[in-house]
Formats: sequence, C-alpha cells, structure tokens
Amino acid sequence: MRNGTIAGEELWKRFRLDARPTYLQDRIATIRDRLRGQEGERWRWVLSDIDLRVEPGESWALVGANGAGKSTLLKIVCRVMYPTAGRLQIAGRVGALIEVRAGITPLLTGRENIYLSGSIMGLRRRDVARRFDEIVAFAELEGAIDRQVKYYSSGMQMRLGFAVAAHLEPDILLVDEVLAVGDAVFQQRCLDRIRAVLGEGTTLLFVSHDLAAVEATCSHGVWLHNGGIQTRGPIRDVLAAYRAAVEGDAKSRTGRVEGLIKVAEVDAVSPDGGLPKTGGELDVTLTLLSDERYRAWIYLGVTEGAATPIFLVNPGREAIIGPGKTRVKCTIASLPLAKGRYYLWGGIYRWWTAGDELILWQPLTEFDLYGPQLGQAPRAVVRLSPLHVDSDWTIESA
Amino acid sequence: MLEGASSDLSAAARPKDAAQRHDTGAPARPSEPRPEIWFHRRINLFSAVKDLWQFRELTITLAERDLRIRYKQAVLGIAWALIAPVILMIAFTLLFNRFAKINTGGAPYALFSYLGLLPWTFFATSVLQGGSALVTNTELLNKLYCPREVFPIAAILDAGVDAMIATCVLAVLFPITGFAPKTTTYYLPLLLVVLLAFTLAATIAVAAVTVYARDLRLALPLAIQIGLFATPVVYGASSISTSKAFLIIYSAINPLVPVIDGLRDTLLIGVPPNWISLGVGAASSLIYLLGAFLLFKRLEVGMADIA
Repeated sequence: MRNGTIAGEELWKRFRLDARPTYLQDRIATIRDRLRGQEGERWRWVLSDIDLRVEPGESWALVGANGAGKSTLLKIVCRVMYPTAGRLQIAGRVGALIEVRAGITPLLTGRENIYLSGSIMGLRRRDVARRFDEIVAFAELEGAIDRQVKYYSSGMQMRLGFAVAAHLEPDILLVDEVLAVGDAVFQQRCLDRIRAVLGEGTTLLFVSHDLAAVEATCSHGVWLHNGGIQTRGPIRDVLAAYRAAVEGDAKSRTGRVEGLIKVAEVDAVSPDGGLPKTGGELDVTLTLLSDERYRAWIYLGVTEGAATPIFLVNPGREAIIGPGKTRVKCTIASLPLAKGRYYLWGGIYRWWTAGDELILWQPLTEFDLYGPQLGQAPRAVVRLSPLHVDSDWTIESA
Repeated sequence: MLEGASSDLSAAARPKDAAQRHDTGAPARPSEPRPEIWFHRRINLFSAVKDLWQFRELTITLAERDLRIRYKQAVLGIAWALIAPVILMIAFTLLFNRFAKINTGGAPYALFSYLGLLPWTFFATSVLQGGSALVTNTELLNKLYCPREVFPIAAILDAGVDAMIATCVLAVLFPITGFAPKTTTYYLPLLLVVLLAFTLAATIAVAAVTVYARDLRLALPLAIQIGLFATPVVYGASSISTSKAFLIIYSAINPLVPVIDGLRDTLLIGVPPNWISLGVGAASSLIYLLGAFLLFKRLEVGMADIA
C-alpha cells in the first residue's frame, strides 16, 4: 500500500447505551441490575459496516447529520479509537486537525507551545525550528509569541493550534469541523492552507457541515446516515443527495404552523400561474386566522431549507391582523436566485422585530424555480448563497 | 506502512470489491458484524515495548511540558522538589527519633529517614501524578495516537527529576551529620532497577483503572498516606520483626521494603543488601510489572470510548 492510503473494510463501532459506570456506585448499580436478571449492558451501534477506501492524494468529505458517526469514523482512522469489528489499514503519517486547541497549554508562551505541540504531534525540534517563522506568520502572532497563551483571545489560540497542525506535512490529513471557530478571513486562509496541503499530494478526509466549503475542497464524498453509508461517490452527487434529504426534512415540517395566529393557507406562485423563474415575480399569499386583533409585523424570507434565509423581504410589513380571517399578499418583484428548490419561511411578531412571536420563524411552503443553473465555483472559492445576477462580458485584446 | 497498524486490527479478509457498493443507495445492512471480524486485541509484549520505544520523544516532551507548567508560576521554582522530603525528614527526626527509639543500625536518624523518604517520595509522586495522567490528558488522548503508557511514564520521569534534585540534599546532609557514605554504595543501580519496576507497575495499573473507575482518584491520596506507614520509611523493616519468613512476605507484597532497606544497608551501614529479601522483591516487582502492563494493554482498547 502506498503512503496516504486508507483502507477500511467492514468497520463497526458500538458505544455503551447505559450511563457509563465511571464511578463505583454506577458499577455497583450495573452489577445489581445484572443479578436481578436485567440486562446490564446495552449497546448502540454508531458505525455499521463501513467500507472506505481512499487512495493517496484523494480528498474525501464526510457529511451527515449530527450523530451520524462522522467524528467517530475520523477517530478510528486516526487510531485514537479502536473499531469494535472490521479491518483497517493506514499507510503513512496521519495528521489530525481535530480539536486543534487540545495540546495548547495556557501557562506556556506561544513560542513554547509551538515547539511543544509540534513535538507532541511527531515533529522533531529541528523541523519545528525550520518552520517556526512560517507558523508564526500563518497564525499572525508575531507580536504575541512570547506572551503566555492564557492571555490570548480564543481566536488567537485557535490560530496557534491550527498553524502548528497545518504545518505538519502528514501523508493523511484529517480535518474535523475546525473551521467553525475563527473569523471569515481566517477560515478562508485555513481552507487555502488545506488545499495547498492537498496540492502537495496529501490525502484528505474532511468533516464539515459547511457544505460549500466541502464542495470547494473535496473530490469525493461519503454521506453517513445513522452510522451507515448512505451514498458515496463524486462530491457533487453526494451533496445533491444529502441536500435533497435535508430539504425533504424541512418540507416535512411545513404546514405545522402554530401560534396565537394560525396560518390557514400559503401560496407562493408566479403571477402568470406558472413556475417562478429567475428574475421573475413571486406572489405570496397568506391566509391568517386569529381570535383577537393584533398589531403585528410580518417577515418573509427565502431559504435553501435551513432557517437562515438567503434574503429577507426588506423591510417587513406592519399590519392589523384579525379578529377573524386576514389575507396578506406580498409580491416579490424579482427573484435573484438560480435554478433550484427553495423554501419560503415566515414569522409574525407582535410589535416590531423584538416583540413576542405570534408565529415562530418557520417554513411556510416550498417552490421550484427555473432559470440559469448555478455554475461550479472555481477551486478555493466558497459561495455562500445560490444567487444569480445577470451579467454581460466584453473581452478585447488591446 | 505504520508499524503495527495492520497487525493490531485483526480480521479475516474476504474477497470483496469495495467499489461494488458504489452508488447503490442504502443497501440492507446487517444488524451486527460477522462474528469472524470482531476485534480482539492480541497483546504482544515484544511489539508493545517496541511501539513504546518509538514514542520515546513524545514521552520526554510530555514530561518536559508538565515540568515547565509545574514550575512556571512557582516563586521557589524547582526548590519545591526538595522542600517536601526535607520538611518531612526534619519532622520525622524531631518526632520519631525522640518518642520512639528506632533502630537505625548506628546511622544518624536524619540520614536514615531521608534515605527512606527519597524512594518513597519518588514512588508516591509517580503514582499520584501518573495515576491520573490519562484522565488529565483526555484532550490529547482523543486526538493523538500513541501507546497510552506514555502519559503515566512521563509523570514518572518528572518524579524522577524531582527525586534527583532532592538527592542533592544528601551532599549537605552527610557532612552535617558527620557521616560518610560507605563503599558498598555501588549496589545502588540494582536497587534503583527494582524501585523503577515497582513504581512503573503501580503507576500504569492505577492510571488504567482510574479511567474506568474515577473513584480511585479520590481514594489515592488516602492509600498513599497509609502506604507511607506500611513501608519502612520512618522505621526499618527489622524494627517490626526479625523473622525471616515475615521479611520475605513483606518484601514480596511491598518491593519498596528491600529497596529502602538496601539503600540504608549499602550507604549507611556498609553491608551488601539482604539478597533474599531483594531477590524476592525483584521477582515480585517483575510479576507486578508484567501484570500491570497486561492489564493496561487490555484496558487501553476502550479508553478513548470512555475518556
């Protein structure tokens, strides 16, 4: 096997389901249960029958909901955890960007920490010294390197941890949701660094909920669901399947609208009755039922499924609602969205934005939109929203 | 290929194309793994020690880190390593030497008790610090692959550094008491090997069990205090009983007995160590060590699940 290969066959992992008996009293309780004939040990499979083969230089993403087993799989590849069953072969040095702040010691200075965590992660002192300036520059800690780390902000600690780990030059790099902390600029630099490492032929296994970052970084993907592999293959296919499932989940929640005001009916259609299209209008009609008279503010937004909208209808609208049936109509003049399926979310608040919720922020309905397809973003570029803006190019050779 | 990566994870391979499952959606999954692929840890003493040797640099790094942290904000710094045993020595000399007449074989009691306190402090510090090393290093445990023994062993290294500093006190204590070490001091390395083996055994056993039963961490200081009196630190083993059978059993249970007695015999009295007692202690500490190592390796598999 060449360096940088990960070969896992039929990997299984289970955890204790009952409270882990780490104190004596728990253990006594477990033994008592067993004497009484109750089953003392219950287990839950967090990974079942995982086959994973990654060739050197490939970049694979692990996506899936919380608790799907992504981090557990990563820990097994990292050899921190043992699989309950199965066969795993790893060739080459493994570097992990997992909990990058672990191993950073607050009492020591930044300089001491770089040497320490470097050698904890398997570098020799000489190697750390050679890369020292590079690491400090990457972490942007030139002025603070001889200060104790406990006086660092959490962002600085994060950068320090990441900078050391990112300069390890391993054969296999494991990344677990490290980008969640840090500002946008640093996140982008981290992604660039990961891609630079990839360019040097390192194998990458990437866990993230940031699907845009995943799409921009990885060539292949595995979608884990309840501990098993749901789909695997080229990253676009996997992400498409995963997104569809997430959206399906959001869809199943639509219609369950409750609050002081009831939403009886929601319509989101093009004025001409057909599918809404890019740059076209969208007529939203809400039929609301209320027992009392409310002075309220209505907000609408369009999302890709999650609660965070691509845009909010700006501004919201003040209205008197009830008693009885109230019909609210909103025409969105032009939809700047690319082709795809979108969700209309809404919320109604008593008195301005900070008032009580008469209807929680929640999905109201969904609609398909047709128009130009979203092209693929270039390497190393992360697109936040699927917006489409018309454009015109002119190219002249001078 | 990383050493031991494949040998650790045993399973019967079956001819099967991993790509076969490509894009088949969600195939019906079995609810349990096939019985022949269940993971069983094979403990190979030789490869385990070899693995440990490969991580010697990490061990030293961890020891260095803990040492730095410990003395970072201590005003008296490294002096703390000798303050504890010296104070105890003074207290013991004032108390026990006055109220209980202890047979030191003619040596000054200050030297006599200090030679007991040195190995005892090393042992107690190792077990206390090393015993909780896995619990206090959970973060690293969860992100870094290494044989887990490195954490308790690093703590033993630190205790060793402290012990060496505390040993310097002898350079003052001998002239003050007007006493000189005897020529039989050259038996010292032999005694140290037994001390090390027993300390290592106790430390890694406590460390491994503490991960699973955290109570042990709370019980440990008490156990160490009792241990101080169950070990001939303030007295000599001969003060309890001169029976040969008693000494053998005592040495077998607590290998610190022949170590401390041997230190006093060779340094202060000028006779070789009691070979029977030392032999029994050496044999039993070797058995302790083997048992502790096997226990550690057995429990190591589940540590990351619990920690």
